[in-house]
Amino acid sequence: MKILSTPVVETTSLHKTYLLGKVPVEALRGVDLKIEKGDFLAILGPSGSGKSTLLNMIGLLDKPTKGKVFIEGVDVSQLSDNRLADLRREIGFVFQFFNLIPRLNARGNVELTMAITGLGKNERRKHAEELLETVGLKERVTHKPAELSGGERQRVAIARALANNPKFLLMDEPTGNIDSKTASEIIALVKRLNEEKGVTIIIITHDQKLASQAKRTVQMLDGLIVKETGELR
Amino acid sequence: MKVSDVFSYAFSAIKLRKFRSGLTTLGVVIGIAAIVALLSISQGLQGTITEQLQTGFATDTLIVSSGGGFGIGAGGAMGAADSGFNLLVNDTQPIDEIEHVSISMAIIQKVCYIKSGERELIVNVVGVDFYKYADIYSNTFVAESGDIPLNPENKTVVIGKRVSDPWKNETIFSKVDDTVEVIWTNATMLPPKNKTHTGNVAAVLKEIGGFGIGPSDSNVYIPISQAQSFFGTDECDMIIVKLENDDDATIESVSEAIKEAFSDQVSVTSSTAVLNIVSNIFSTVEVFLAGIAAISLLVAGIGIMNIMIVSLMERTREIGILKALGMKGRTVLLIFLSEAVIVGLMGAVIGIASGWVLANIVARIFSGGGFMQAGNQAAAAGGMTITPVLTPTVFLGAFAFGIIVSVIFSLYPAWRASRLKPVDALRYE
Repeated sequence: MKILSTPVVETTSLHKTYLLGKVPVEALRGVDLKIEKGDFLAILGPSGSGKSTLLNMIGLLDKPTKGKVFIEGVDVSQLSDNRLADLRREIGFVFQFFNLIPRLNARGNVELTMAITGLGKNERRKHAEELLETVGLKERVTHKPAELSGGERQRVAIARALANNPKFLLMDEPTGNIDSKTASEIIALVKRLNEEKGVTIIIITHDQKLASQAKRTVQMLDGLIVKETGELR
Repeated sequence: MKVSDVFSYAFSAIKLRKFRSGLTTLGVVIGIAAIVALLSISQGLQGTITEQLQTGFATDTLIVSSGGGFGIGAGGAMGAADSGFNLLVNDTQPIDEIEHVSISMAIIQKVCYIKSGERELIVNVVGVDFYKYADIYSNTFVAESGDIPLNPENKTVVIGKRVSDPWKNETIFSKVDDTVEVIWTNATMLPPKNKTHTGNVAAVLKEIGGFGIGPSDSNVYIPISQAQSFFGTDECDMIIVKLENDDDATIESVSEAIKEAFSDQVSVTSSTAVLNIVSNIFSTVEVFLAGIAAISLLVAGIGIMNIMIVSLMERTREIGILKALGMKGRTVLLIFLSEAVIVGLMGAVIGIASGWVLANIVARIFSGGGFMQAGNQAAAAGGMTITPVLTPTVFLGAFAFGIIVSVIFSLYPAWRASRLKPVDALRYE
């Protein structure tokens, strides 16, 4: 028997229309999605299917044209930029191209997230080192991104995403830019975070291997969800 | 985000682009250094001139000259007559009768060659009443060697320090008991005719420095009666009037009485008036100099803006990341402004220091300048010492100006950075 709780993320009839030059492009055409706490969801779909747009909406990086996004039951679709910035601190982003700050070392990158929320220097340093240890980079804390391999950079990015104890991790092709062996390690790490620490994970991916590890997958095409596998917990 | 974190983040961005940040800072440094150097030199110069005017031009004296206004000519040369009216040597008589006038004396001066052995100098030859002149300028018309005779013989000549030692290097041009020839070209005759007056050096004046209205280091003094016969004229260039006191009321009433006595055909100048003129000139010059320096700071500001915009472009993606991590627009704004503040601060500190060094170097070069030999009667300026003055106003003003300019020109780029949409910024390649 399941306990019905407020979903971490919920979208209702989500629409997004871009202007590409002067041509309107309907990237999302009514997406309804519910993600519960502890979920591990993979969003699949060919390029242009609207999955990145959906990720931007859920990650509060962009506002929908129509429809609503709820984060833990709160309608965030039309909040002010400042409020959105506050809420983004509770979302852990992991990007395909890592998006680390090149001039900061691994620890500095992880600390940055906590510095933004105003955490003191000693606390955030300690926490950053713990997180880097969790992702297996204990020996690499003072290395800059340029001195790290692709897989290592992605681990730093994951550690950074976890720094503010987020409501969920939002990963955009996390294995898209690293070799398959390292990708397996990242997949194992993500799976472990979900299973052992109960971190809610939303992944956009082409990687079938990664998708197969997810508890649930949704397939997107032309701005709509066309297929769902697995079920809501 | 804490202010200290904002600053350390901004500083890390500056450190990353050391060369570029260095050049940006250099722009501010040059602007600030220019302001500090120009203003501290001009204030130092004003101080020196004011001080020398006060000693060289006793406050209880008036100067009467014919015609229009008073010109601060080199070596105390007055403006020429412009109305056909000329003061005569014996015009001192009506002046002496005015109440509160203690002494008055006429001065005739002309530019002449002075020859001693094989050497020649161009000097101002001034005809004075030695007794009265020494009374009026008791601080400066003082002998260093020899004696100033109060009842001079016809051949008596008293020379300024720079006429004795023109090059400040112990190469003595003439000294006490030397015979010198004063050569004057009378250009009012056709063809111009040279006249020679042979004199004996009775005294060398002690060094006066700078220029005053009174005695000067580069003048040669002969008795007024000799000047009258040598230059063949009874017209004098000015009459110096010593008052019983230097009260404003006395200066005012005597000035009016003198003008009245000569039917307003003379001008009367007091030292206070000269000091006011000097101070007015300097305020104008300072505004002008500050304006020039401000232009260089404006250029620096545009440089900062340029660099900030380039930096903004380069860091668009970084700004996207920061925003995705939850940084607010105003924090992004603060980071960019902090970078400007750091650049402005460094620029101001280095600028003030280098401006001060520059001012001192320039002051030393100018102060070291000796006698200008080549046909320049302005040689009196030779002995002037400029001590640059850095007032707290200039110091703090330059400091604030450096930072304010940096911040103002960064406002627009910083504002643009703060307004970037995270989704667009992250997509930026």
